[in-house]
Amino acid sequence: MTAADPWATRDAGTIAVGDALDPLIVDVDATRIVAGAIASRDFMPAHHDRGFANTQGAPDIFMNILSDTAYCSRFLTDWAGPEAMVTRLAIRLGVPVFPGHTLTYTGEVTGLRREGNDVAVEIAFRAAGDIGDHVTGTAEVRLPN
Amino acid sequence: MSDDEQTLDERLAGLIGKPVGSRAVTVAPDPVNVPMIRHWAAAFEDHNPVYTDEAFAEASRFGGIVAPPLMLQTWTMATPMITGIAARGGSPVAMEGEAPLAVLDRAGYTATLATNSEFEIDRYLRPGDVVSASTAFETISEEKNTRMGKGRFVTWVTTYTDQDGEVVGRQRFRILKFNPSGAGS
Repeated sequence: MTAADPWATRDAGTIAVGDALDPLIVDVDATRIVAGAIASRDFMPAHHDRGFANTQGAPDIFMNILSDTAYCSRFLTDWAGPEAMVTRLAIRLGVPVFPGHTLTYTGEVTGLRREGNDVAVEIAFRAAGDIGDHVTGTAEVRLPN
Repeated sequence: MSDDEQTLDERLAGLIGKPVGSRAVTVAPDPVNVPMIRHWAAAFEDHNPVYTDEAFAEASRFGGIVAPPLMLQTWTMATPMITGIAARGGSPVAMEGEAPLAVLDRAGYTATLATNSEFEIDRYLRPGDVVSASTAFETISEEKNTRMGKGRFVTWVTTYTDQDGEVVGRQRFRILKFNPSGAGS
């Protein structure tokens, strides 16, 4: 990838186990949480109505799980490039994320193997928030060989 | 009550393979389409051009616009009935009959915590694809001591298929149903 072409797909031949992915930082506010919930068609009021969230024991609205998987896939393909295919994503949910928090996604390559005409890249990652890990997980993306 | 006639474990074993919701199959109300993809991409600031840039997508290995892979779950989300949503506890639509997991609530596991969401993506969806989802219980664990209290992990699998009945992806979703009165014990 070069600065001149931000949408070049990463060359699978240059990837090694232990490589770090480019971090993704997401500043979370109420607008971001509501936009993600509605775009993913999740109308649970805990993701847009603070009064309702309070009745559920939460101090504020919190990010929905479909937004979590969305940001994970963005983190993966921002690094791997547009011709990467996300073929597996497995997340474990940690502490919630509320408006005012910052999420920092980091990850590293844990495995590489050939899969037909592609290279399958295995990745372990986490999204750390203000009060602990919000998401930890593993994924596989496939790149043209 | 049949609760008295069968042990809890027998009742839970009877749920395995059964639908999680009131319907066995949910068909997406709309086919995969560019306006919803564009809305999603904007919300998550995901500027990957294969989702929204026709010329780029055509020149890519996909040969045309594809939907973001983790949008898979979005296509079959219930169209909400906004009126009364809070009164229904946040459920977008009214449940028909009793929820299958009510048996766990009656056994004291009244609280719910989502713990895992796992996707396998077999192929990327394209505009025009019509997604169906069928969801069934896969496993219900024995009682475990967790930091939330005593609980059971419940896993269900959603299989997503296209208009030809071909599987396009799967999702495993796991929750902990726990007894909130026993936290920390």
